[in-house]
Amino acid sequence: MCLFSAIIFSQISNPLPSSTSIAQTSVSDTHNWAAFNNVAMLGYIEKPELGLLFENRYMISELSTKNIQFSLPTNSVNVGLSFSHFGYSLYHEMIAGIGFARNFSDKFALGVQFDYYSAYFTASNSYRGAFFPLVGLAVAFSPVFTAGFTVLNPFQTNIQTEFVTKRLPSVFSFGSQYFFSPELVWRTQIDKEVSSNYRFATGFEYQMLQKFNVKLGMYCSDYLVSCLGIGFITHSFRFDLNCDVHPLLGIKPLAAIRYSFK
Amino acid sequence: MKTLFVSIIFIFFCSYALRAQDAMSTTEQIIADIFEKFTAESDETIDYESFYDDLMFCAENPINLNQANGDGLGKLQFLSEIQIENILSYIYEFGAMQTIYELQLVEGLDMTDIRRMLPFVRLGESDNPKGKIYWNDLLKYGKNEFLFRLDKGLETKEGYRFTPNEDVNVPTLNSKLYLGNELYNSLKYRFHYKDRIQVGFSGEKDAGEQFWGATNKGYDFYSFHAQLNNFGKFRTIVLGDFRANFGQGLVLHPEFGMGKSSYVLNVTPRSSGLKRYSSTDEYNFFRGGGVTLKLGKFDVSAFYSNKMIDGDTVNGTFSTIIKTGYHRTLDEFSKKSSVNQQIVGGNVTYTNMNLQVGFTAVHTELNNNLIPDKSVYNYFYFSGKKQTTGGVFYRYRWNKLNLFGETAMTDNGSVATLNGCYFSPVSQVSLVVLHRYYSPEYDTFYASSFSETSRINNESGLYIGAEVRPFRKWKLSAYADSYRFLWPKYGIDAPSVGNDYLFQADFTAKRNLTMYWRFKYEDKQTNLSTTGVVMPVVVPLQKSSLRYQLTYSYLNFSFKNVLEVNLSKQSSDNWTYGVIASQDISYAFPRIPLKMDIRFQFFDAQNYENRFYSYERDVLYAFSIPMYYGLGSRYYLNVQYDLNKHLSLWFKIAQTVYSDDRELLSSGNETISGNRKTDIRLLVKYDF
Repeated sequence: MCLFSAIIFSQISNPLPSSTSIAQTSVSDTHNWAAFNNVAMLGYIEKPELGLLFENRYMISELSTKNIQFSLPTNSVNVGLSFSHFGYSLYHEMIAGIGFARNFSDKFALGVQFDYYSAYFTASNSYRGAFFPLVGLAVAFSPVFTAGFTVLNPFQTNIQTEFVTKRLPSVFSFGSQYFFSPELVWRTQIDKEVSSNYRFATGFEYQMLQKFNVKLGMYCSDYLVSCLGIGFITHSFRFDLNCDVHPLLGIKPLAAIRYSFK
Repeated sequence: MKTLFVSIIFIFFCSYALRAQDAMSTTEQIIADIFEKFTAESDETIDYESFYDDLMFCAENPINLNQANGDGLGKLQFLSEIQIENILSYIYEFGAMQTIYELQLVEGLDMTDIRRMLPFVRLGESDNPKGKIYWNDLLKYGKNEFLFRLDKGLETKEGYRFTPNEDVNVPTLNSKLYLGNELYNSLKYRFHYKDRIQVGFSGEKDAGEQFWGATNKGYDFYSFHAQLNNFGKFRTIVLGDFRANFGQGLVLHPEFGMGKSSYVLNVTPRSSGLKRYSSTDEYNFFRGGGVTLKLGKFDVSAFYSNKMIDGDTVNGTFSTIIKTGYHRTLDEFSKKSSVNQQIVGGNVTYTNMNLQVGFTAVHTELNNNLIPDKSVYNYFYFSGKKQTTGGVFYRYRWNKLNLFGETAMTDNGSVATLNGCYFSPVSQVSLVVLHRYYSPEYDTFYASSFSETSRINNESGLYIGAEVRPFRKWKLSAYADSYRFLWPKYGIDAPSVGNDYLFQADFTAKRNLTMYWRFKYEDKQTNLSTTGVVMPVVVPLQKSSLRYQLTYSYLNFSFKNVLEVNLSKQSSDNWTYGVIASQDISYAFPRIPLKMDIRFQFFDAQNYENRFYSYERDVLYAFSIPMYYGLGSRYYLNVQYDLNKHLSLWFKIAQTVYSDDRELLSSGNETISGNRKTDIRLLVKYDF
């Protein structure tokens, strides 16, 4: 079954942090819950985790996204908290969310997250915000094949000010994950943000050594973007370093660290 | 030998069926799924209520397989003629079935078909279909049902906007504005005792129609029906509103007609004779009475109908029969019931083991002259006050060939004929071939049969369909249809040709995991849409689509994913594309009688030719196949809650949001300001 994948990180979705999954193919990545991506993946968390992420767009300090996330597994549902900040003093956007997800006997996982987005508008010297949900689903058709689906801001909520309408991202995504072996995984994804082009992404992650993995992928929207990454895992820590190479705009590096509590 | 075989099958199959129970949908869902397969991509309005009603009636009064005949099994519209023949021949050859699991031994039935059949069939002692009915039994075992439904759109439409001072006389001053409020409402009552007696009443008010005022005192549309079955020589007696379906539908078939669908072998409608009408379609039915007599191997039917229909009548003539049933504005109301239509008809059918042959005749009389506004495309449409149509139909089984057909003629000498053959050379392969020729001059009131368009005239063509089960778990279906319009059609100003192809592969991976891939390609002709063209110019129009659907269930959850892409090209223009993707989640709560369906759908159709039709779950007896065009998304929540064993509630809320910067939706009185359209629907059912 060739299920497609999709997640949409549009040009207007600045505060949404990228995921550490290569080429942002996170919608079906059952080993990695990324804030504001597929919230169903929160259901697979087995230990409390705290994560920090920093992402810089094309080496311009003003275009940086900072993210912190915390996840807590419980007997009934897993809970996740996340916060992301984009921008600088004169213009910035923030998004905070609380998510709930459950894994149903490894057959499927369902999750829902409630997000609050706010942006600072210089013209009115004020913050404006809006609530919207994020819904996610992951279905394991076999131990090696999983499909994922997520929709962010399904109601297409926007922010209306006296002067402008700030369009918030509304993203619809399908994705699939296939394990060729326990060491090698292949993910594909299709994303559509309602006012942006489709994004097609694919990537491989290979556990080269016990504590070290390499990632290789690409995505295509307006341009073809190559993606490289490495990961390192110790007992409680996990480090990720990814890099997207845009043919026109340059490099977009991402660094993340995650700590798993005992 | 048969007993041994049956026992082995029973043991093997029993475990499968028992395991399968958790994945089985409810009867309502099975019916909706069957209907969806027939209509998934149809742009025609099809009467779901009647379709649902007929199958639900079968679920409440299951067909006794050991006593069934072709007509009885014909009610299960999802079975092909070949499958029906195979079931009947199995029983004829091996005797009565001992267990329902024996169905697996019938050629041409796979697990999906059997699972679909289970709610509607049974095995048991021979019934006495003509047994005496006592009042006590009627009161004790008769079933009553009340249904009350309300629909409302949340955004105010242009037709409901009054002037700022809300002048009550505005509707009368402006004949275009709606007279009533935004609520749709219907009320229905039904009673049935087994399959012997059925009585019902319904009233309906469409949104915008007045419920109480100058134009209406109560509902805008009322309907009553009564049907008695198997009383002495009378096989059927109908009174009030009813329908009459005979043969392959070239003379009479005012309801759901088979056509091109992914059920590639089900191509012609079933001859169901006289039957009650309980839907709210305000045109496609008869009002009066009829009887069917059983005289040995002959069934003789006669009926009479006298009803008022809508037309734009001026000075004793009208140009169009208005079938929408809307009477929302003064303009629409002025056309209500302005024409009297009388219909008298009859049918004689002879049936024996291998042969069925019948003759149908119907005479229609209008009190006003129907004179269509003459255009090239409707040059041959019926005009006048009277019309008589007659037709002969047949079915004949010869070895493995099942021949069928119908030839009809109207009193102006024009002919329509349809002939075909079902053939199953081996159990894994079933084929159908169908040829039709409908003369441009053939135009009768209540015909409905296999056709490229909704009208039975001006068409000839050849259809070939095949269903192959090459491996376990796989089913391949395909059809090819080549047709020709002999005279200009609406939207095609010259005689034209077209081809239509479908290929579908169904894969049942596990009992709770199914999927299919469907490819469609259509090549036809259409008017050149460029303005300023003096002479009619017809150009080719090509459309293709690829659809993937996955359904999966686990415990009380079920999921459905759909992804479809289409391409369209007119003349030498560039290809334009459309994409639709959806995620459905359904859940039945284990401890409370609550079920819910949720869908999120995204669509991106560049232009009108790339539009999509997509079926969605709805409240009981309602069925939605909204059309999507442009860029946007749609989502809905559909909930069913059983308050107790008598009282059930359904509620649905759905919203469509367009993201392509449009500021107005729809047009005319239906115009909505903004880019959102929200609908809510409530249904209450009380049965006792």
